[in-house]
Amino acid sequence: MEFGSIIVYFTIMIGIFAILALGLNVQYGFSGLVNFGHVAFFAIGAYTSAIVTTAGTPFIVGIILAGLTSAMMGFLVALPTSKLSVGYWAITTLGIGEIIRLVALNEEWLTKGSFGIEGIPQPLSKLIHISNYPVLYLGIVWMFVGLSYFLMAKLANSPFGRVLKVIREEEDLALAMGKPVFIFKLKAMALGASFAGISGSLYAHYITYISPSDFTPIVTFIVWAMVIIGGKGNLVGSIIGAVIIVVFFNSTRYLKDFLPMRAETVASLRMVAIGILVILSVLYKPEGLIKEKKRTYDI
Amino acid sequence: MSSVQIILNAVIFGSQLGLLALGLTMTYSILRFANFAHGELALVGAYLTYLFSVNLKLHFLLALISAIGLTGIVAVLSDRLIFKKLREAPALALIIASLGLSISVRHIMSAIWGPDPLGYKQALAKVYNFWGAHITSTQLIILMVAGSAMVFFHLLLHRTKLGKAMRALSDNRSLAQDRGIDVERIITWVWFICGCYAGLGGALIALETALWPELGFQIILPVFCAAILGGVGNVYGAVAGALVLGFAENIGLSINWSSVIDLFKIFRIERMLFIPTEYKTAISFLMLVLVLIFFPTGIMKGRKGH
Repeated sequence: MEFGSIIVYFTIMIGIFAILALGLNVQYGFSGLVNFGHVAFFAIGAYTSAIVTTAGTPFIVGIILAGLTSAMMGFLVALPTSKLSVGYWAITTLGIGEIIRLVALNEEWLTKGSFGIEGIPQPLSKLIHISNYPVLYLGIVWMFVGLSYFLMAKLANSPFGRVLKVIREEEDLALAMGKPVFIFKLKAMALGASFAGISGSLYAHYITYISPSDFTPIVTFIVWAMVIIGGKGNLVGSIIGAVIIVVFFNSTRYLKDFLPMRAETVASLRMVAIGILVILSVLYKPEGLIKEKKRTYDI
Repeated sequence: MSSVQIILNAVIFGSQLGLLALGLTMTYSILRFANFAHGELALVGAYLTYLFSVNLKLHFLLALISAIGLTGIVAVLSDRLIFKKLREAPALALIIASLGLSISVRHIMSAIWGPDPLGYKQALAKVYNFWGAHITSTQLIILMVAGSAMVFFHLLLHRTKLGKAMRALSDNRSLAQDRGIDVERIITWVWFICGCYAGLGGALIALETALWPELGFQIILPVFCAAILGGVGNVYGAVAGALVLGFAENIGLSINWSSVIDLFKIFRIERMLFIPTEYKTAISFLMLVLVLIFFPTGIMKGRKGH
């Protein structure tokens, strides 16, 4: 690949993962929900959009349906788990992520199993020559990033967002103020999941081919790394986290040309590095690169 | 499959799982967090056994024992380098750190030994047939080793001062501290022992099937299920939970569900209805969700989340 198209590829992937990270930030950063099954919502969005658009519906319907089905799944996932402690909740979501992948792998009538769905149509592809198409898609992706960012920024400063943060800090306090904590958690999960679904749809229409191997638990972990390293409860942090991780993840791909190592070894070592980076941030910089702005009041 | 065979498979899987679940339940109750890197301790044990027995050509028993001891040391190191620094941090931070550790360890193994499945080079196992079931000599060894390890754990908990201190710590940490128990020293021992048992469990699983970097992740959900099923902090519960899970997975897969549905006389399904084996993991997960909804403290006495 020439240099220009690499930059376009990176920027599109950063956009897709930034939306995914923003979704996790609603759940973990704002509301303190430890969702270890984020990839499930990404996968549901990607598959929903791929299935309906290969059947002939336009992209815009696909992406809206992707957001809706993922939100519905997020709501369902939150139903039995919202009343659990942090650890139990995390284990349950991890399990849900795996089960969604198993369904994608085994329900061939719906998802074409391990072969995956190919030939997913690209939106507006007739308007422009194929060689310039990625630049157009970059615009589409970043339009959605902007939209998500705008919505989230609105949300963060709204009464709804403030209640979520109270729930994160002190759940009993929120209850004492008469806030229906359970309902707020359901909404936060559904909202975060819908972002993941939209991101999944954007991914499917960019790559044009999806299979269950795109949706391993590693994706969840990578998004977690973005939110942790960028800073939780912080929108700019999520996007910076996405930039750092996507650039690191993809640029190490080219290292194999310079290092006397096999490609798999390089791939493993970069996951080791991301894992260590997450541990180090938890240990020494728990607030992340960009600290969440908190107002303090003198009493 | 004959019913004896199903029971046999359930017990073998349950005993492997039990070795992992009893360590997890100890760290969960004493340190108050779900250690997502516990499956990777099993992975370390299994790969070190491979290193000593295949790469360095030691006798298998010697290789197994050294690998188990080293896994215990790895567990202690993980505490010293990471978890000890987070003793006062919220459970959230510990869970995320353990997830980071699990990803790192899994990929270190994958970088060294590659992503493909490996096997210990064993002499061909003998097969014994009885009551319409068959068991290999490897599986017999696994049952014996796992069984004696569990008896040893029981003796450790009840006949030694260390075991009593561990139980005291698990029940009530501040009370134990007030009674003059050196909490940090006991925690180090708990990590060592839980690492050893996880390493043994991992090596035994790899001995029966194969060894690959995803092994730790594959086993972590059932292990959590077993620990929660038995009640967090309850070692016997964890082993019982592991056996229940072994039975649930093996029986769940071998039942023709259309005859079960037929029992209720609501509607009839003519064809055979089996749960596909691909959904094996889903069974343990379903058990977990049902347990969390109906018995949040487990089937035996244990502690709620935290």
